[in-house]
Amino acid sequence: MKIVVCIKQVPATGVDKRYTDDLTLDRTSVDAIINPLDEYAIEQALRLADAGTADSVTYLSMGPDQAAEALRRALAMGGDDAVLVTDRALAGADEWATAKVLAAALDKLAPDVALMGMASDDARGSLVPGAVAAMRDVPLLSYGSELAIDGTTARVRRLSATGFDWISAALPVVATVTDQVGEPRYASLKGIMAAKRKPLETWALADLGISADELKGAALTRVTDARPPEEKAPTERIENLPAAEAATKIADWLAARKLI
Amino acid sequence: MSNDILFLAEFAAGTPARSALELATGAAELASQSGGSAVALAYGSGAAGGAAALGAQGATRAIVLGDEDRPAITYAPALVAAARDAGLALLAPATPNGRDLAAALVGSLHLPAFGPVRAARVVDGVVETEQATLQGRVITTSRPADGAPSPSVVLVLANTFTPAEGTSGSAEVTQAPAADESAFSRASVTESHEADAKVVNLEEASIIVAGGRGVGSEEGFGPLRELASALGGAVGASRAAADAGWIPYQLQIGQTGKVVKPSLYIGAGISGAIQHRVGMQTAEHVVAINKDADAPIGEFADLFVVGDLFQIVPALTDEIRRRKGG
Amino acid sequence: MTYLLTPEHEELRAMVRDLAEERIAPRAAEIDEKQEFPWDLKELLAKQDLLGTCFDERHGGTNLDTIGQSIVAEEIARVDATTSLIPIVQKLGALPIILAGTDAQKDRYFPRLASGEWLAAFALTEAAAGSDVASNRMRATRDGDDYVLNGSKRFITHGSVANVLTVFALTDPEAGGRRGMSAFIVEADTPGFAAPRVEHKMGIRGSPTAELTFDDVRVPVANRLGQDGEGFRIAMETLDRSRLSIAAQAVGIAQGALDASVAYAADRQQFGQRVVDFEGIQFMLADMASQTEAARQLTYAAAARVDVGASDLPYWTSSAKLVAGDTAMKVTTDAVQVLGGYGYITEYPVERMMRDAKITQLYEGTQQIQRLIVARQLLQRAGVAKRG
Repeated sequence: MKIVVCIKQVPATGVDKRYTDDLTLDRTSVDAIINPLDEYAIEQALRLADAGTADSVTYLSMGPDQAAEALRRALAMGGDDAVLVTDRALAGADEWATAKVLAAALDKLAPDVALMGMASDDARGSLVPGAVAAMRDVPLLSYGSELAIDGTTARVRRLSATGFDWISAALPVVATVTDQVGEPRYASLKGIMAAKRKPLETWALADLGISADELKGAALTRVTDARPPEEKAPTERIENLPAAEAATKIADWLAARKLI
Repeated sequence: MSNDILFLAEFAAGTPARSALELATGAAELASQSGGSAVALAYGSGAAGGAAALGAQGATRAIVLGDEDRPAITYAPALVAAARDAGLALLAPATPNGRDLAAALVGSLHLPAFGPVRAARVVDGVVETEQATLQGRVITTSRPADGAPSPSVVLVLANTFTPAEGTSGSAEVTQAPAADESAFSRASVTESHEADAKVVNLEEASIIVAGGRGVGSEEGFGPLRELASALGGAVGASRAAADAGWIPYQLQIGQTGKVVKPSLYIGAGISGAIQHRVGMQTAEHVVAINKDADAPIGEFADLFVVGDLFQIVPALTDEIRRRKGG
Repeated sequence: MTYLLTPEHEELRAMVRDLAEERIAPRAAEIDEKQEFPWDLKELLAKQDLLGTCFDERHGGTNLDTIGQSIVAEEIARVDATTSLIPIVQKLGALPIILAGTDAQKDRYFPRLASGEWLAAFALTEAAAGSDVASNRMRATRDGDDYVLNGSKRFITHGSVANVLTVFALTDPEAGGRRGMSAFIVEADTPGFAAPRVEHKMGIRGSPTAELTFDDVRVPVANRLGQDGEGFRIAMETLDRSRLSIAAQAVGIAQGALDASVAYAADRQQFGQRVVDFEGIQFMLADMASQTEAARQLTYAAAARVDVGASDLPYWTSSAKLVAGDTAMKVTTDAVQVLGGYGYITEYPVERMMRDAKITQLYEGTQQIQRLIVARQLLQRAGVAKRG
């Protein structure tokens, strides 16, 4: 049973990021990490590998050359090999273009499960997994807090309004998991050392049979303005007061705003 | 291409989800700007019977994609067929089901996609949206590119639109044409489990008292429940508390949980990390109680109380009860 | 000669730093307060392959170069000096075997040390023999195919939690410590071995510093390291290398204190401005930073020389430990000063760092011993004849 985990390299949070003058995200010279929500997908895949359910785990990413770092970090956590799709024509790709490229790469890799995290930190693209499933005409099992495989069927445990359901479909599927999968493992030192020796292939658009023209001008949305959020009134603070006095002050504050 | 504004309306047992009511209101607003109609795309058990009532929120028409209790994603083929070229914009809730269906649309029809947005309007005949990016540090405004296909798919955050008080309108209900099955149809629920305790839907609460790592235990939530009760509100939590098993995951507020917009949010023992913040930052009034004077939540709270929540919360509960004359 | 910090070193540093900040730092204050050995963190480090860095791959280790090993110690010490001793003492206890052990001895003990399943300790010091190693009194009397060990050791780091210890005892008391001492591998569950008490200390309080008693402890000949009488030399060669780990620890402690000082001063306001904007504070921080960096680079330079087997090894490792230890003490003391009253209370970590730093001036050879070593090497180089 073969799993391909799609991961994305994103700028580290808390770092000073900004939009450039032409209103695209300035991605240069910023510390890059694996999109934190993808780490849960990696962890889920590796658990299935540890249990012997998955025979191989491959990582797939689309991005600039530098994205190979994220793939090496994933390999350091575990897994067998990785593929980076990189091409100048991919700069500024939106969710549709990303999905198209990933779908083509996944068709080539032909996994039983294409596994992804639920969203990405910076551009918050939660539409890629579903779009990939649509393009490949493969069932989508999304927002799982757990992924299980029984023979030729995959199922995810998904929270419902009143509890949880197990939703299943026959392989192959596209699946996404949430942070409820559990803490992702750290890369061990041996993992880091082994990662260097694991195969990492680089593919260009031509290798996927996609022409740059198909993606050129594919961005269907444009940003017309970028501004800082509205000024907020400064935070009022209450400190160093005994609890009863603090409580009175808080209640006064609430009353003044007609909240009680 | 019409100027209609489509929206997803999810039903369960004949009752519309709150998102359906919100989007109906929003679609009606945008439709009045575009000169078209608000059209519901209804699905889920009891949708056929319940869809007409969406007229009360301003929907002119409702197309029923299906009436059965099955995973939302299985309605994707019908949605794709019904949405193609059917309007200026299609509003979807930024919930797991909404995102899945929106993704299916984007993947099948190559449509422009926006969001999750915190505001949407029609300007110059196209939809214009506002979204917070870079962890809320930048607000961007976006539009479809020239010549982009329609409809634009817009993911809408909860509480962006407030459901209108019901008027007396009734939507005209039609069945969606039968659509070819696709792989999406092949997902099915094989097991269904009810949670042991009934939980309130936080997205509808106007007062929330939330606890985080600082609460320390399941028992620690006791004082927070008391405070919520005194205020007439609901209890929520950060992911740390849910992970620790102190409260059910349905009460988790944050990036991977519920997005809430209460008029009052009180966070006790919550540090305010960005993953939680994105779930509650649009609350009207934010009060934080934390013994760490440097907790990040202190930067965006309206009122930050530094102290021991186990002393302050009960004291506050008492004070509120006293003022309410109870 | 020069040394190079490679991308692999940086990756290693990033990994250990993440682990240290996320999992070790939150436990540091509690470990210090409760004076408890952090078994959970030992398991974590073992799982991350961080206790096997000085062992060969054939024993399950990762065979990191000495700079890499220093980085591991440094990054852990930056958040908690006590926990940094876990990999440091693992190496210290194993070094006599690395230097003088047979393949059979290595094959027997290294796999479980590399995996972290077992802990090692180094038992040289006695109550009346600290700096004056040669005045050790513990005896090892040959009896058939065994040696019988009798005596006691004091101030043995991890002596009460180790599964295997390298122990030094006199096989020939007449010949005195320099020529009559031998080294042995002792398994902690050997009858007659006990760790009856641990010390209450100023710092590194979660690290058990034990008194050990040996009461007719039988050790097979197969567990002797090298020949009779080689013990002193093995001990000295061990310390020539292990003291570098202390240098790395000291660099880490200093860095942690510096980082805490910068963060505090940037946040704290007095007299209408941030404390960090006062030049007086900036001068202190600059001194702290440049001295820490100097100690760090000297430590790496010494580490590089260890790996090429330089003949003047002690000159370098002693210089590094000397400079780093003194730097750690100064930087942590200044850190408390920068934080003012807040630096004195346990709510902030710098008072603990200052208490922890002191030990780097004392163990694995006091600063005074280090100075003697450096002086001796210096004079030797300069061709100055020994005192007649």
